Amino acid sequence: MYPVEIGPLQLALGLLFVLLAQGLSLVYKLGLVRDLAVGTLRTFAQLLLMGYVLRVVFEVNLMAVTLGVFAVMLVTAVHTVRGRVKERSVPFVLPLGFSMLLSYLTVSVLVTSVVLQARPWWNPVYFIPLSGMVVGNSMTAMAVALDRLFSSLRARRNEVEMMLSLGADYREASSDITREAVRAGMIPSITSMMGVGLVFIPGMMTGQILSGTDPMLAIRYQIVVMLMLVGSTAIGSTLTVLLVRRRCFGKGQQLLLPPL
Amino acid sequence: MHSDILTIQGLTFGYPGRDKVFKNASARIRAGELVVLEGPSGAGKSTLLRLLCRLEEPLAGTIAMYGESLAAMNPVRLRRRICYIQQTPTVVEGSVRRNLLLPFGFKANSDLEVPSDTYLRQRLEEFLLHGVTLEQPASALSVGQRQRICVLRSLLLWPEVMLFDEPTSALDKESAAVVMRAAHSLHAQGVTILLVTHALEAGEIENAVPLRVNGRKLER
Repeated sequence: MYPVEIGPLQLALGLLFVLLAQGLSLVYKLGLVRDLAVGTLRTFAQLLLMGYVLRVVFEVNLMAVTLGVFAVMLVTAVHTVRGRVKERSVPFVLPLGFSMLLSYLTVSVLVTSVVLQARPWWNPVYFIPLSGMVVGNSMTAMAVALDRLFSSLRARRNEVEMMLSLGADYREASSDITREAVRAGMIPSITSMMGVGLVFIPGMMTGQILSGTDPMLAIRYQIVVMLMLVGSTAIGSTLTVLLVRRRCFGKGQQLLLPPL
Repeated sequence: MHSDILTIQGLTFGYPGRDKVFKNASARIRAGELVVLEGPSGAGKSTLLRLLCRLEEPLAGTIAMYGESLAAMNPVRLRRRICYIQQTPTVVEGSVRRNLLLPFGFKANSDLEVPSDTYLRQRLEEFLLHGVTLEQPASALSVGQRQRICVLRSLLLWPEVMLFDEPTSALDKESAAVVMRAAHSLHAQGVTILLVTHALEAGEIENAVPLRVNGRKLER
C-alpha cells in the first residue's frame, strides 16, 4: 500500500477549507478573517520549518542535537503553561520546569529504550516525536492542575487556616486540595483512554495509517503512546503540584496567597 | 519566671501594595490576662491576632513568647499553644465527632490523648449544645452552634493563649453569651485571652484590660 503523495497542488487545495471558514466569518461577522489567515500562515511556516529541522536532526544523528530539540520543546511548554495559569503571586516557573524535565525525560527515555528498545536511546527518529507528544499532552494537564491548586487554596483559605490553627502542617492543611488538583490534571488523559478508538481516532495513528503504515502496527504504537501519556501526566502533575504547593506557604507554614 | 507571655517589639507589618498596618509597634501581654483589642475597624486588630499565631509574618520586629522569638519556634507546635479562632466558624464535611477530633489526626498532636465520646458529650452540654449528637453532620448546625463547636475543638488542645477574632459577630444572643462565657472560664483557668469584638468595649467585660490599636501603634 502506497500513500497518496501530497504535493503543492494538494496543499493549495487544502486552503479552500480556510477560505470557506473565512467566508462564514464574513457572513456572520465573526471577526476571524485575519486570525484565520495568520493561523494558516503559521501552520504552514511552523510545520514546514519543523519538517526541515527534523530532516537535519535525523541526518546529523547526534545526542546533543536531539536533546537540544527536547530542551526547546521543554522551554516552550513552560512558557505556554506560564501564560495559561493566571496566578502571579507565587513563583512557580522553576518547580514547573523541574517537574517537566524530570517527568518528560523519565517517560520518554523509558519508552524509547525499554519499550521500543531503540538504539541508542536518544535515536532522534523515535525520541523526538514521542517526547513531543509527551510534552504537548501533559503540559495541559500541568496547567489545569496548577490552576486548580491556586484557585482552591484561595477559595478554601478559611478551611486551610482553620487546620493550620489547630496544629496541622501545610501538607495536612492542604491534602484535600492537593489531591483534587492532581486529579483535575489527570482526568482528561484518563477520559481519552476511555474514548480512544470509539469516539475518536488519535491524530498520531491517523497520520501513520495515512502515510501507509499497517493499522495494527499503528495501533500498537498508539497504545504505547496513550499509556506513556497517562504516565507522564501522573508524574508531571503530582510533582508540579507538590513542589508548587510548598511555595504557596511561607516559612511559618502560613498560606501566602493573598485574598482577592 | 517570665510574667510576660507575649512581647511585641518594634513590630512592622503591611500587606503587599498597601499602607503599613503596624509601624514599630510594641506591647507586652502578661500571662493570664484577658486582653480586649480596641480600635477603629481596619486598624489592624485582626491582623495582630494573625501575627501572634504566625498566619502572617512581621516585616520587621519580633514577637516573643516567654522571651523566645516566635520566628525561631516550630510554627506547627506554636499554633497548638497559641490557638486562633476565626470570625467565620469553619467546619469540615462529616459528623460533629469528626470535626471535634480533627486536630487529633494531625502529626504534631499525636502525643495528645484522644478524648472519649463521654467527655465530648459532656463538653457539648457545657456549651449548651443540648440535643446536638456526635453523629450528626456538622454542616447542618446553625452558625452559632458551629462557632461553639469550633471554640470547643480548640479547647480540646489545651492552648496557653486563645485568640478570638470577632467570635460573636455573626451569632445569636445565646450563642454569643456561651462563647463569651467560655472565654471567661478559660481566663479563670489561667489561659491568656486576646479578644477582638465589636459588640463590647473592654470596660463592659469583666476583668478585661484594653489594648488600643491606634495609628500603627499599640497602647496599653
